[in-house]
Amino acid sequence: MPQGLHAEFVEAVGADAVVSDPVALRSYECDGLTGFRVVPSLVLVPRTAEAVAAAVRVCAKHDVPFVARGAGSGLSGGALPVADGVVISLQRLRSVVEIDVVNRRAIVEPGVTNVDISRAAAPYGLYFAPDPSSQQVCTIGGNVAENSGGAHCLKYGFTVHHIHSAEVVLPDGTTTVLGGDSPQLGGYDLLGAFIGSEGTLGIATRITVKLLAKPAAVKTLVADFPSVEQAGDTVSAVIEAGIVPAAVEMMDALAIEAVEAAVDAGYSRDAAAALVVELDGPQAEVDAQFAQVKQLCEEFGATKLRIPASAEERALVWKGRKAAFAAVGRISPNYFVQDGVVPRTQLATALTRISELAAGAGLRVANVFHAGDGNLHPLVLYSEAAGEHERAEALSRAIAELCVDLGGSLSGEHGIGTDKACSMPRQFSEDDLATMARLRHAYDPSGICNPGKLLPTPRLCGERPGVYKPHPLESAGLIERM
Amino acid sequence: MTQETTFAPSTVEEVRAAVADTRASHPRLLVTGAETASGWGAPAAPADAVIDTTSLTGVLKYAPSDLTIAVRAGTPFTTVQETLAEGGQRVALDPARAWRGATIGGLLATADAGPLRTAFGSLRDLVIGTTVVLGDGTVARSGGHVIKNVAGYDLAKLFHGSLGTLGVVAEVVLRLHPLPLAVRTVAVEADAGEAFDLAGKVVMTGLEASALEWSGGRLLVKLEGTPEGVEQRERELCRLGGTTARVLAVEEAAAAWAGVAASADGVRGTTVVRIGTMPVAGPALVTRMVAAGASVASSMAIGVHTVQFNGGDHDELLAQLHQEFGAAVTVLRRDGLSAGRGWGPPPAPVRVMRAIKRQFDPAGRFGAGRFSPWLEDEERAS
Ligand SMILES: Cc1cc2nc3c(=O)[nH]c(=O)nc-3n(C[C@H](O)[C@H](O)[C@H](O)COP(=O)(O)OP(=O)(O)OC[C@H]3O[C@@H](n4cnc5c(N)ncnc54)[C@H](O)[C@@H]3O)c2cc1C
Ligand SMILES: Cc1cc2nc3c(=O)[nH]c(=O)nc-3n(C[C@H](O)[C@H](O)[C@H](O)COP(=O)(O)OP(=O)(O)OC[C@H]3O[C@@H](n4cnc5c(N)ncnc54)[C@H](O)[C@@H]3O)c2cc1C
Repeated sequence: MPQGLHAEFVEAVGADAVVSDPVALRSYECDGLTGFRVVPSLVLVPRTAEAVAAAVRVCAKHDVPFVARGAGSGLSGGALPVADGVVISLQRLRSVVEIDVVNRRAIVEPGVTNVDISRAAAPYGLYFAPDPSSQQVCTIGGNVAENSGGAHCLKYGFTVHHIHSAEVVLPDGTTTVLGGDSPQLGGYDLLGAFIGSEGTLGIATRITVKLLAKPAAVKTLVADFPSVEQAGDTVSAVIEAGIVPAAVEMMDALAIEAVEAAVDAGYSRDAAAALVVELDGPQAEVDAQFAQVKQLCEEFGATKLRIPASAEERALVWKGRKAAFAAVGRISPNYFVQDGVVPRTQLATALTRISELAAGAGLRVANVFHAGDGNLHPLVLYSEAAGEHERAEALSRAIAELCVDLGGSLSGEHGIGTDKACSMPRQFSEDDLATMARLRHAYDPSGICNPGKLLPTPRLCGERPGVYKPHPLESAGLIERM
Repeated sequence: MTQETTFAPSTVEEVRAAVADTRASHPRLLVTGAETASGWGAPAAPADAVIDTTSLTGVLKYAPSDLTIAVRAGTPFTTVQETLAEGGQRVALDPARAWRGATIGGLLATADAGPLRTAFGSLRDLVIGTTVVLGDGTVARSGGHVIKNVAGYDLAKLFHGSLGTLGVVAEVVLRLHPLPLAVRTVAVEADAGEAFDLAGKVVMTGLEASALEWSGGRLLVKLEGTPEGVEQRERELCRLGGTTARVLAVEEAAAAWAGVAASADGVRGTTVVRIGTMPVAGPALVTRMVAAGASVASSMAIGVHTVQFNGGDHDELLAQLHQEFGAAVTVLRRDGLSAGRGWGPPPAPVRVMRAIKRQFDPAGRFGAGRFSPWLEDEERAS
């Protein structure tokens, strides 16, 4: 990085917020997807939204690419740095500005962790509904960028359903506010388009989130099944009965083994599959539907039902489920987490095809996932030392593309990032992608905001992108594309 | 309107052809659905042709077990609901103008919603995929057929509220909800302030009311769920609501909700606006509007107020609303307004809106006038 530029960044954010020590820079070289690593030229750790904007203005002036970074827990390489660019870390913007009880919302800075929002709201009987398994560490800025989900999103929706507005620093360094005080706004839903844009349209510096009242009653059960198919059929039967559970999660034998090795959460080691079903709402309704769910589990061959008797026991069930990814480390030296979605009725087919693909590759795949909405998280286990990396990567990609072939999507919550940009043409046509590029171009005409993510680029995939840039005469209304 | 040409495509391909083949002959297009929202936004400028979407109908794929349906955009909303009711499901949306034949595409383009918005949001929150046709004939799909999906940008959200200015919405995929087994409405007499407080209590008690609408001096609370659940909700609500709380009989409830719809829908001679505020600001606003002779339906808990002015000239009232509530005032019906501007001060990110308009519709083919002067100011400035 040229000396003059370095000085401009120092002026923008303060000397103590510029990291240039090569060793320190390396700790930003990747996010949760450790297969891709790039050391950035500089890391900025501003303390205020104004400083973030000042930093982006310097980037805009000199066409320096920048990448926003929250906790770096992303699993798709969304926060992967650009070698000749800067990383703007939001880790110091960590205050909960206000809990507005009357309007049931919280104003927070982007570096606040997901769980800290609920913690701050708890004294008022409120909480923030989206609950990614990584909620202890991931930031609300990252959640907004990824449109993160979680176990309870079947009933409550995703991050996009829980954000009122966001102050955003646009790629030209100006600041604006997307969204507003109520859902009634005039004009295009710019906030809706921003959420899930994976850090490619700007940096959120202040976010107003919706808070919900804690449900009146909650009931949870863990049901063991002799096969994943039976567990899957049970999920369909529950949905077809018109019940919308707060959560329906599934784990297969290998996932259960990992969880028990790590947490000892009381899952049955001999079950081929376990379902965690949670209902919440008014007591009488929860009771009635819970009885129905129990009955359906039994009808579809559940061998054991475990009903946590206390809040602590219920917390343990969830601790086990949420620890599943990390726990896999106990049974395999390395693993990839995949994140594809299939129409829920295709779950059994998807799982069968995944085990065939795994057998073909000579690798193990553990499954732990959001069964209610068909969001699979196959964990591809492998050993780097045994030279299995490439095979595992190929298997993981094959699984994501299988989801598309079954009528689903490449990603349900982890995002496309660097990881799956090259698979996007499997799900979308050239025209679809070119149209998405128009949106990006509207925000970021010079292409400096998290380049190389989400949309396939020649650098990544060896193909031409369909970036739409109108000819100046076209903008002037003198010619058109025919 | 003076359009001589109307195109009535019935498939995406026909929409594409109608748009692509007319670039030279009919540069400016007006997209229409069932014409139930002709007054929304600012008046549309004259166009060279109309793309009438009312033949673009039909259910493409209904997957009840996956809770999804794909339909062509010109399909009337009520047709979709009838199809779904047979499967015990619904699109959790109850816009006032549904009964007049509003189309799915038109509802998306106008960002419309009814009292159920309190629990389920608008189509923005229910749409999971779209196919759109842009001015150069590009056909672009986004989203898909699964309720959870973050692959790519969510273009459906962008078209939500676009009023036909970005392109033609040709197909829409929606997420569904089960039809509730039991529905009951409780009415509590309350002025706007009391209604706001009560709505807050209802929300905090976790009763999961699906609509909390203040209208005509009472708070209407729609309770949906299992029979047991609804009974419990009803009991607790009557306790919270005090002496005036009353469970409405079926016909009474239907009449009450029809009244809410009527004040959002408007009749000849009325002006209807929808205003977004911080929820807490609702009571003062609503009280003032009522004092000015308006009828009001307010989703109290989330701060969305639909206000109908009857008779006379409403220009000054609209100007006041714009001044006080900025960009979050949308004109739904303009019979009491003189021709001209429909929108107040532009929203903070109007520059982004303009940049998007330029990218998606560089030739300016669609919906001229609809956002006047928000988009047009730019043309003058550049
Ligand atoms: C063990 C584990 C479990 C997980 N479980 C889940 C889960 O259940 N559900 C789920 O959805 N995800 C899950 N994730 C993925 C990850 O936690 C989420 O994607 C999370 O939202 C990332 O947040 P972050 O703060 O770590 O963001 P980062 O990884 O730092 O960044 C993610 C993306 O967001 C952008 N970004 C970050 N902050 C901002 C900002 N302020 N403005 C604009 N862009 C920004 C970055 O540029 C990048 O593209 C899991 C991850 C791990 C490691
Ligand atoms: C014969 C005729 C007479 C008219 N008379 C009047 C009049 O007296 N007063 C008046 O104010 N206007 C009038 N208009 C204008 C016309 O009613 C509106 O411009 C337009 O029809 C509004 O949409 P809609 O009522 O069909 O409702 P909706 O279908 O609800 O559409 C409302 C908005 O959504 C847009 N839209 C609808 N479907 C789509 C789609 N599939 N994709 C993208 N955008 C979409 C429309 O462009 C419009 O902005 C007339 C139009 C015609 C053709």
